[in-house]
Amino acid sequence: MKIKFQTFILCALTSVNCFAEMASINDSELSEVTGQSGVYLSGEVSINEQGGPLTDSYFGECTDLTKSCGARLSFQTQESGGWFVIDDIKGSIAFEGLTFQVKEITSGFGGDGALFNKSVMEIGMPESIRMNDFEFTLATGSSSRPSDAGYQQLDFMTVEMSGELTLEGNLLVFPTP
Amino acid sequence: MFLITSKIVKLILLSALLPLNYTSAEMTSLSDNDLSEVDGAGVGLVLDDFVFSHGNDVANDKVFKIKGLTDSNGDAVSINVNQLYIARSGSNYGTTLDPVNLGRLTNPYEIKLLDGDDADVKLPGEGVLQISAPSKVDIAGTGYSCIDPTLGAGTGDCSSRPSSAGWLNGERPDMGLELEITTNTGGPKNLNFNAKSAVFDGSYIRLWGDDDNKKMAAEFRLNFYTPELEISTCSQANQGCSSSVKMQDFQLELALGTTFQPLYIGADNITGGLTVEISKITHEYINNLNAGVSDGTANGDAAHSFFTDYYTNDSYRSNIVIGNLDVGGTSLGSAKVEGMLIQYLDIKFRDLAP
Repeated sequence: MKIKFQTFILCALTSVNCFAEMASINDSELSEVTGQSGVYLSGEVSINEQGGPLTDSYFGECTDLTKSCGARLSFQTQESGGWFVIDDIKGSIAFEGLTFQVKEITSGFGGDGALFNKSVMEIGMPESIRMNDFEFTLATGSSSRPSDAGYQQLDFMTVEMSGELTLEGNLLVFPTP
Repeated sequence: MFLITSKIVKLILLSALLPLNYTSAEMTSLSDNDLSEVDGAGVGLVLDDFVFSHGNDVANDKVFKIKGLTDSNGDAVSINVNQLYIARSGSNYGTTLDPVNLGRLTNPYEIKLLDGDDADVKLPGEGVLQISAPSKVDIAGTGYSCIDPTLGAGTGDCSSRPSSAGWLNGERPDMGLELEITTNTGGPKNLNFNAKSAVFDGSYIRLWGDDDNKKMAAEFRLNFYTPELEISTCSQANQGCSSSVKMQDFQLELALGTTFQPLYIGADNITGGLTVEISKITHEYINNLNAGVSDGTANGDAAHSFFTDYYTNDSYRSNIVIGNLDVGGTSLGSAKVEGMLIQYLDIKFRDLAP
């Protein structure tokens, strides 16, 4: 009885031994698969439209005109030196139809495509991109934080942008030798 | 009997399991040929069918302003950016926005890490980050004239091609910045900068850490060529007016910083002002030179050879060439400033509070 049971198990297991070979997909089969390779993104990036989380002698709500309410990025290019500042970054950018896909280029580009003959990562500019009260200030400062003692900041200019931008095209990214 | 059967079962179990690994999707090794195509040294960037334009236009709910500037009395200066654009050449001051390519697939804009030990980088032991425009090419090969967009291949050393019947996009954009400036004392005044069929080939910036000075050091080359750079005070609606200075066949080759005399850009830690510095030229064996001649020692010869290269190598020098300067319709002929060598530069910005 035991032998019969073991033989049964044996038969059951040996049946697993099949040869489901992985076969490569040829070009004509691949050509029937479309619309699966890319990403289409829409969204809105909003930075400190009302004001950031900090409230101190320098930062505050955007309704308080004596305070700075935007985000702030500062970086240094020398030890113990001053700082480059992108200050008061606020507003929003809404976009629709930012795309990412991998694309093979074998023609076009005034003859360069055939010479190139490789794949690239294509980042497609959005169909529409709209800024809403987006602004930032370029400046340099004596230390990293505006609340530091003796802090001095030299503002160069503030750029303000709003409305629909004309921005078309594709950014192609690829490895180079 | 049972023992034997049990062993057979185990053996067969084992043999039954083994073929599970047997699939024909074999992992193959990468050949040298395959590998030679992938080295990840840099990232190439090409903008295809590119157009950018934005400008202050209240009627169409568009705002583009530069604020925070003051005049000499401390009064605010308001600047409306009427238009900032990049488009295909022939844009007629940004009124016709057709797409252009920036960079070629075979010679793109590039972000790359360079090995400082390489002979053409000359920074032993350093890693160098390079951000570059398309490089220049041989005139004899496929190079195009950097200035004249009507000439074909084999006429210059620029890689970017002008717009032509066979390749409409081209790789040379029209670019412009049109400003409307309002001060407390005067009404709106226009100031416009428009460049046609612009080329930046051969430009690059290299960045590295200067261990001795604890600063970020840079070597910057800006090449800018255009058949016409126009600075005008025309109104937005009439960009082609005669109140303009046209610099035809304009060439700028700006060299700021070298590996032995780097450009440092930073900020002052007391006043907070921007600082731009190129340290003065020197050499560790400069004292082995007498009146510009080596004292005969190996060190003296090394210093002499260094300064001979410094004063004769054109790549350290900046040039500005204007083929024809046209002011308000009157031609003033050509102007050149060639061979400028910066031996020391120290610029400090400070607030001019009235």
